[in-house]
Amino acid sequence: MNDEVRILLVDDEPLVLRSMEKTLLRAGFDVETADSAGAGLAAFEAARDAGEPFHLAILDLHMPDLEGQDSPDAGLELLRVLLQADTDLPIIVLTAYDEVGRAKEAIRLGARAYLVKGREAELLELVNEVINP
Amino acid sequence: MAMDHSSPRPKVLCIDDTPEVCLLVRRLLSSHFQVLEAHDGLEGIEVAQEAQPDLVLVDLHMPHLTGYEVATRLKSLMPHVPIVALTADTTPNVRERALASGCDGYLAKPIDPDRFLDQVRTYLAGEREELEDESYRQAYLETLVARLEEKVRELTQTLEQNAELNEQNLRLLKQTRRYARLLEAGARVSRTITAILDLEALLQATVEAVGREFGFPLVGIFLLDETGEWAVLRAGRGGSGVLGGDGGERVGVDGTTMVGMAILQRRPITPADVEPEASLRGRPQAGMALPLIVGDRVIGALTVQRVGPAAFGNEDVAALQIVADQLAVSIGNARLLKDLERAHQELMRARTYEAIATATGEAIHWVGNKAAPIPGSVARIGEDLARYLHLAGALLEVVPPMLREHPFAQLLAEAVEELEALGFHREAVLEGLEGRSLARLRRMLSVSSIFEDLEIIEKSAQAILNIKEDLIGPARRRKPEPLSLPDLLRETVASMGIPDEIVQTRFADDLPLVQGDRIQLSRVFVNLIKNAMEAMEGREEKRLLLWARPAEEPGFVVVDVVDSGVGIPAEQLDKIWMAFYTTKGDRGGTGLGLPACAQIVNQMGGRITVQSEVGVGTTFSVFLPVATS
Repeated sequence: MNDEVRILLVDDEPLVLRSMEKTLLRAGFDVETADSAGAGLAAFEAARDAGEPFHLAILDLHMPDLEGQDSPDAGLELLRVLLQADTDLPIIVLTAYDEVGRAKEAIRLGARAYLVKGREAELLELVNEVINP
Repeated sequence: MAMDHSSPRPKVLCIDDTPEVCLLVRRLLSSHFQVLEAHDGLEGIEVAQEAQPDLVLVDLHMPHLTGYEVATRLKSLMPHVPIVALTADTTPNVRERALASGCDGYLAKPIDPDRFLDQVRTYLAGEREELEDESYRQAYLETLVARLEEKVRELTQTLEQNAELNEQNLRLLKQTRRYARLLEAGARVSRTITAILDLEALLQATVEAVGREFGFPLVGIFLLDETGEWAVLRAGRGGSGVLGGDGGERVGVDGTTMVGMAILQRRPITPADVEPEASLRGRPQAGMALPLIVGDRVIGALTVQRVGPAAFGNEDVAALQIVADQLAVSIGNARLLKDLERAHQELMRARTYEAIATATGEAIHWVGNKAAPIPGSVARIGEDLARYLHLAGALLEVVPPMLREHPFAQLLAEAVEELEALGFHREAVLEGLEGRSLARLRRMLSVSSIFEDLEIIEKSAQAILNIKEDLIGPARRRKPEPLSLPDLLRETVASMGIPDEIVQTRFADDLPLVQGDRIQLSRVFVNLIKNAMEAMEGREEKRLLLWARPAEEPGFVVVDVVDSGVGIPAEQLDKIWMAFYTTKGDRGGTGLGLPACAQIVNQMGGRITVQSEVGVGTTFSVFLPVATS
């Protein structure tokens, strides 16, 4: 049922990345991962150019930015770029439990929702809400 | 007195208190005689004894010793020297009285210059007038006796006065000695107490020393409480009688007690100052209360009582006031030291945690991130286990009945039953698997996936266990910015999932923005709220109040985090800031720790204070600087 839904997942924490990827894969989503804002943007552009654009992007906030420098705002930077390229792209941001304020900033910039890391049980529900509003 | 030894001429002594008379006598006689002068009776007698004159002229009317008395005295000292009275006295019988007193002749003033030299010569030549009527001599003697008696009375009086003065002096000396002893006692008390810098020890040592040195059975020290309305007995000697009541530990600062009056009026109060019924309550005691004054502030009172009705003298009051003043200074010192120690501790705390506080914050952040995958992996492993078991259970239903008796089959059947009992129902667990292709099923369920998730858990756990390394990692970048406390606090509460019925927020309408780092500050409140929730665990009443308002101190906002938890015992209040050390390792992932909170707030230019009452709750107050512009 989710076979045709393509998701871009960007996080520099390999374990977090893999865990979430597994959760999404088991639910039947088609998942592609990237470990930095730069890699995420590259994957986004490659998919668009291949005519198979992502239906959803899930972005961490604190990771290497487009220049590869560690930044707490890398996710926001990528968010802006992605929304410039595709204003309708649904985006979910990932945040640490103690950085909810920053996630709110992402919502203000156009993200559809935020997920506190470690609450993966809520992930599928949130993804379904965002892609089937 | 003038004397001339240059000539062997006869000496004439003139005793007269009128200088003009002496001068006239000198003029009239000095060409023939050596003239000596004396200006009162005593001097005349003295000069006469020394110069042995050949003739004495004496004025009858002189103060103190009269001419009569001088004549009498001279007659007994030098019976052969003629004494001639000189007088302007014209009352009757003055000549007779003069002769009766011992004079040999009588010359009336004013002196007749033409005849005076001859008259003197006549007396020198041996002329003696005789007293015809002996009654004059008798009368004179009586006068003399009366005069003498008067003198004796005067002398006696003087002696008595002297004795009285002596006695007074002795009394003064005794008092001075007593005062000196009191002062010495006071000095000993002072020496005992000046070196003591611990307040409680100081107070106890003082009451003991005052009691011992001054001999008061009852001594007490009262200090004002924070309100200034009550004086609290902080140290006592001789039992609760110090207060004149049993069990009373404090008195009001008013006019009803000596302690209250001493504090109010800033002066020593003795029973004389107090209404008798209010002061002694019929007890046979004499008490005194002395104010303890530091600078211009009254901080309490020293009170002493002695048994028996003996009154306090001024010197008691003075000596004890010196002790009280010394005590007040010592109390001031002890308190100052306490303040200094507190300030020092704060400084040490700030320095100790400066390096590690932000690193701790970073570490906590890492713990949160590292732990993030664990719940997902656990959930998947559980799901996979349930799926495999239900698949096995489904297969069991289609195997030959004899095989179901096999122990393995029985074990599997029991496991499936257990799963069902735990709520993992087959329909739900296998939903989504039914009708899938094998390739798709492989993607959804595999042993390698289970082991991968176990590995994710293991690695996450290892990362958390390695947090020690992260503690010394680079400090997180700080970005101070103007922040809205209500927004920050609402977000923090929301992100922590605190139930609405527990938390209550109160934000002042005119609350200014504060200057600080959003993430760091949010961590501070996460930590304080977490502590509050932990303190309220298992408590019947759970109330968390977040109250933000402008602080009394200009330029600051204060946020109170108030809980209805178990409270912190007073003796632990100082140590909570050291919690990082005492509970290290146990609190991983649960918060920053209060030291780091204090450090973060310090770095923002603010401070944290705490108040707590066991069984009632705890209030942490976070003071933050208002954002400029």
